[in-house]
Amino acid sequence: MTTQTTTAVAPEVLSATGSAAAPARQRRRFLARGPKEADAPDRGIVSAADWHRRSVKASLRPAHILLLVLLVIAGLGPLLWLMKSAITPTQDTLTNPMALFPNGADWSTLSTAWNDPSVGIGQQFLNTLWVATGSWGVQLLVATTGGYALAILRPKYGKIVNGLVLGTLFVPAVVLLVPLYLVVLHPPLLQTSLLNTFWAVWLPAGANAFNILLVTRFFNSLPREIFEAARTDGAGPFRLFWSIVLPMSKPILGVVSVFAIINAWKDYLWPSLVLHDPVVQPLSVRLPLIQSQIQLDVFLAALAISTIIPILLFLVFQGMFLRSAGLGGAVKG
Amino acid sequence: MKSPRKAVIATVAIGAVLAALTGCSPAAAPDGKITITVASLIPGSSKDAFAAFYARVQQFEKAHKNITLKPVEYQWTGPTFASQLAGGTLPDVFNVPFTDSQSLLQAGQLADITADVKKLPYASKFNQNLLQVASKDGKIYGIPYGPYGYGISYNRALFTKAGLDPNKPPTTWDEVRADAKIISDKLHIAGFMQFTSGNTGGWALTAETYSRGGRMETVSGGKTTVTTDNPQTIASLQYLHDLRWVDNSVGSNFLLDWSGMNQYFGAGQTAMYPSGSDVLTSLVQQNNVDPKDYGLTVLPTEGADSGILAGGNVATVNVKASAEEKAAAVQWIDFYYMQKLTNQAQSVADAKILVGAKQPVGVPQLPIFDQKTLDTSLGWIDQYINVPKANVAPFQDGVFKLTIVPEPARHTQELYAALDSVVQAVLTDKNADITALLQGVNKKVQALVDADTY
Amino acid sequence: MSSTVSSATRAPVRDRRTPLTWLKGGGLTNLLFMVPLLVIFGVFSWTPIVQAVVMSVQHTNLVTTPEFVGFANFVHVFNDPTFYTAVQNTGYFALLALVFGFPAPLIAAVLMSEVRRAKGLFSALAYLPVVVPPVVAVLLWKFFYDASPHGVFNTILSWVGIPPQPWIQSATTAMPSLVLEATWAAAGGTIIIYLAALTSVAPELYDAAEVDGAGIWRKIWHVTLPQLRPILLVTLILQIIGTSQVFLEPFLITGGGPANSTITILQLIYSYAFQNSLGGNYGEATALSLLLAAFLAVLSFVYFRATKAWSDN
Repeated sequence: MTTQTTTAVAPEVLSATGSAAAPARQRRRFLARGPKEADAPDRGIVSAADWHRRSVKASLRPAHILLLVLLVIAGLGPLLWLMKSAITPTQDTLTNPMALFPNGADWSTLSTAWNDPSVGIGQQFLNTLWVATGSWGVQLLVATTGGYALAILRPKYGKIVNGLVLGTLFVPAVVLLVPLYLVVLHPPLLQTSLLNTFWAVWLPAGANAFNILLVTRFFNSLPREIFEAARTDGAGPFRLFWSIVLPMSKPILGVVSVFAIINAWKDYLWPSLVLHDPVVQPLSVRLPLIQSQIQLDVFLAALAISTIIPILLFLVFQGMFLRSAGLGGAVKG
Repeated sequence: MKSPRKAVIATVAIGAVLAALTGCSPAAAPDGKITITVASLIPGSSKDAFAAFYARVQQFEKAHKNITLKPVEYQWTGPTFASQLAGGTLPDVFNVPFTDSQSLLQAGQLADITADVKKLPYASKFNQNLLQVASKDGKIYGIPYGPYGYGISYNRALFTKAGLDPNKPPTTWDEVRADAKIISDKLHIAGFMQFTSGNTGGWALTAETYSRGGRMETVSGGKTTVTTDNPQTIASLQYLHDLRWVDNSVGSNFLLDWSGMNQYFGAGQTAMYPSGSDVLTSLVQQNNVDPKDYGLTVLPTEGADSGILAGGNVATVNVKASAEEKAAAVQWIDFYYMQKLTNQAQSVADAKILVGAKQPVGVPQLPIFDQKTLDTSLGWIDQYINVPKANVAPFQDGVFKLTIVPEPARHTQELYAALDSVVQAVLTDKNADITALLQGVNKKVQALVDADTY
Repeated sequence: MSSTVSSATRAPVRDRRTPLTWLKGGGLTNLLFMVPLLVIFGVFSWTPIVQAVVMSVQHTNLVTTPEFVGFANFVHVFNDPTFYTAVQNTGYFALLALVFGFPAPLIAAVLMSEVRRAKGLFSALAYLPVVVPPVVAVLLWKFFYDASPHGVFNTILSWVGIPPQPWIQSATTAMPSLVLEATWAAAGGTIIIYLAALTSVAPELYDAAEVDGAGIWRKIWHVTLPQLRPILLVTLILQIIGTSQVFLEPFLITGGGPANSTITILQLIYSYAFQNSLGGNYGEATALSLLLAAFLAVLSFVYFRATKAWSDN
């Protein structure tokens, strides 16, 4: 269950974001062109002529500088503080949290946080990767095969299935909380509970109507002449799926992947309900549990380690992150 | 033809997944061998603590060749316990607090171990009041262990630093208040702190109420009445109110649960707090507290009917266990929880391992059988006791003379949860209406009590 | 949503459909591709939704056998004084989140869209907090909010001569503190959405406005804001829907305290369902979750009805 994407949204929201409003247009532009072109609009509110006016320059420049300062304080400040405090001894952080290494740095906190058997978030870090990978795999499998069946194979009952899938978009995630938990405890046909297994997170993640929506839309927009031509050449439905449709869908699969991985990384409530065993817990579940069991410096080091990886990923794949946020954020709840 | 096949494989992957999952059924045990899962330590315990636990496991397996133990990390908390119970993931041997064993056994969730317990040599010697927390109609569903009494934990180093004598801890609530003020003024830390969240606020408030002679629930004619608006509870809350709003000696964090408070104490941010007498084990395992700096005294008692709140844990067996598993489980409970009190050789073996692993030995506890049995067992391990006796003497010497009062019997956790919010209100709102808040708690919990079918 | 599915059907019309014609027409292959979706949605979405409705009229806790109790669960919820506290708190959170979190990102996005150099730097800085895992952000801010004079925020306040604030340790300031953290964590995402929308405003509209002699403010008022209207309306309702289900901040920072001043609806659902050692009261939990869902559905419907004329305009 990804709490982020399933929300009660009236039909108009989807049509607004999907076809009428800006993000959809934006998406097509992004997907069609490279990020650079998309990031550089032809012009904005302020014209070249405006920029030559003194009053404009005199007010806009300081406004921009002020904005930059605020962004540095708000965006970078807390992170820098965390990095500093991760290697500052507990008592220094408690007595003067804003001082810069009054008694020197203590790098051993980092290795304690990572390795120590009682804290050791190394295991939980791998679990987080594993949770994200599995959720991503299940979501991609369901979205591509389902999208293919709904948009291209189009069996008669497809419309009903599609309606049922999109209907779940209007059900807030919270409604699923308890019954889904019970399903995971006693899954149909299985003898065993899924509690404390990664499947408890992976499989519910696949039931993501937003993914199906994105993928069917994209598949629908593919030129059907290509499929007809491939069929004439003797390609069956499997071949069509694997060799033609999937390779053409890389852009949308990229978007679905980014969402899948980010959501898996962020989710707390659901994994905390179904993963009690530290051997399978991801970071988001483990960190609150150990916060009062371990020393503050080691805890802050654990927080810093948990943050640095997504930050690095963000800095490397910045364009992809921001594009996905611009497009998908509007449909998230 | 490669790609279609791959596609098929991808499509049926779900099926494979489900098939793989069904394969996870437990493997059949070889002849005569029994494997049981047992609760080990709480998550985040130190390497040393785990080493000590595993050493005991090995000794047990050596003595019981047909039993294999599978230890799993375990901590009783309301939410995790509920889902483990529902999900069937509880170990074969686990523990629950005194407050919860009755409702669990009445719901048929605890195994009846009467037959196996009766075989134990000390079966008839239990303090019957204690055994009662996990018995019904003459049947035994669990063995109580590690009972604690409520005391005040204090930091001896901070007492010294503030110019107070650590060997003379406060003996009345007024002295507690005075000492807290001195420490707070001199050291700019909290002199006294109070649990406030995760149901522990209500737990501590109940202990404070008992120490002044009040009760949270009274039973007459078989009917339980919730009486949190008794004068002693009001006095306890007014006392907290004055420490906060007149003296300002209780620090600035009023959202602390059990672990959070222990961490605060371990970091030297408070000099005193009311706690169970057994908290030192966790303070050492989790918070690096040095027993040399640790002091424990009884909760001051004043007025008629005053007493010490006592609680503890019950070692219980999973209701799903087979007869053989039940027998093995009781043997483990006997070995790990009981023999340190009843068997000299095992008591010494246990103490040796704990000392070797730098774990505290001699943490104050109340008797499960009688005081004499407890004293005898302490005599066996006298040379291994590493908690300075003088530091916990104020508690050990004081607790004899006091009445022991069990926790409220009905809907205890809900009662505590509702009281949490009252304690928080008093500490964060100068104008909180204590009586009105308590009447709200009465109404809420009374409704739960009245809705019970038993 | 049927409009999104093309109505053109591919399959030629046949007079008689038998299993054999179905098979020959590729019915089995179609079904095979549909299986993952049907299984996953069937088990993990459709069944639980139906179950939620069933459970809301049952007394069930997994330990005892479920029994039909009609609307008793709903009655219990309405009789619980904490329910009203939770509704009030959740509404307060949603309102504060709008006050803190709606205008600032819009202003920032409009300003940022006019930055001519190092635009990427602005976006990256704004988006950084969104990348921090929410649990880490929440635990970090919990520490920042330490109410002692040695707390992080209180130390900073002391530099400008402001006395220590209680932050999360007071019923009056706890909720605004939570909203501040939530806004910090989410504002970057909103800014990026607005930025994307701003770049899609057709430049010709500005050109035309300039021909009419419009200045910067008039361009913002008459071109930019109307063009952003649909996306603003959508983000507004989505934010309300999202904040109505707030859980992480109150659960991990304050635990609903002090004195229930930050307990939210989702937290109440959680405590009904999971905070009782005998297996929770699942009936009341699902009843409350359905109430919340119904409220949000009605709210969305009314919202779009009310704003339809305005956004079509």
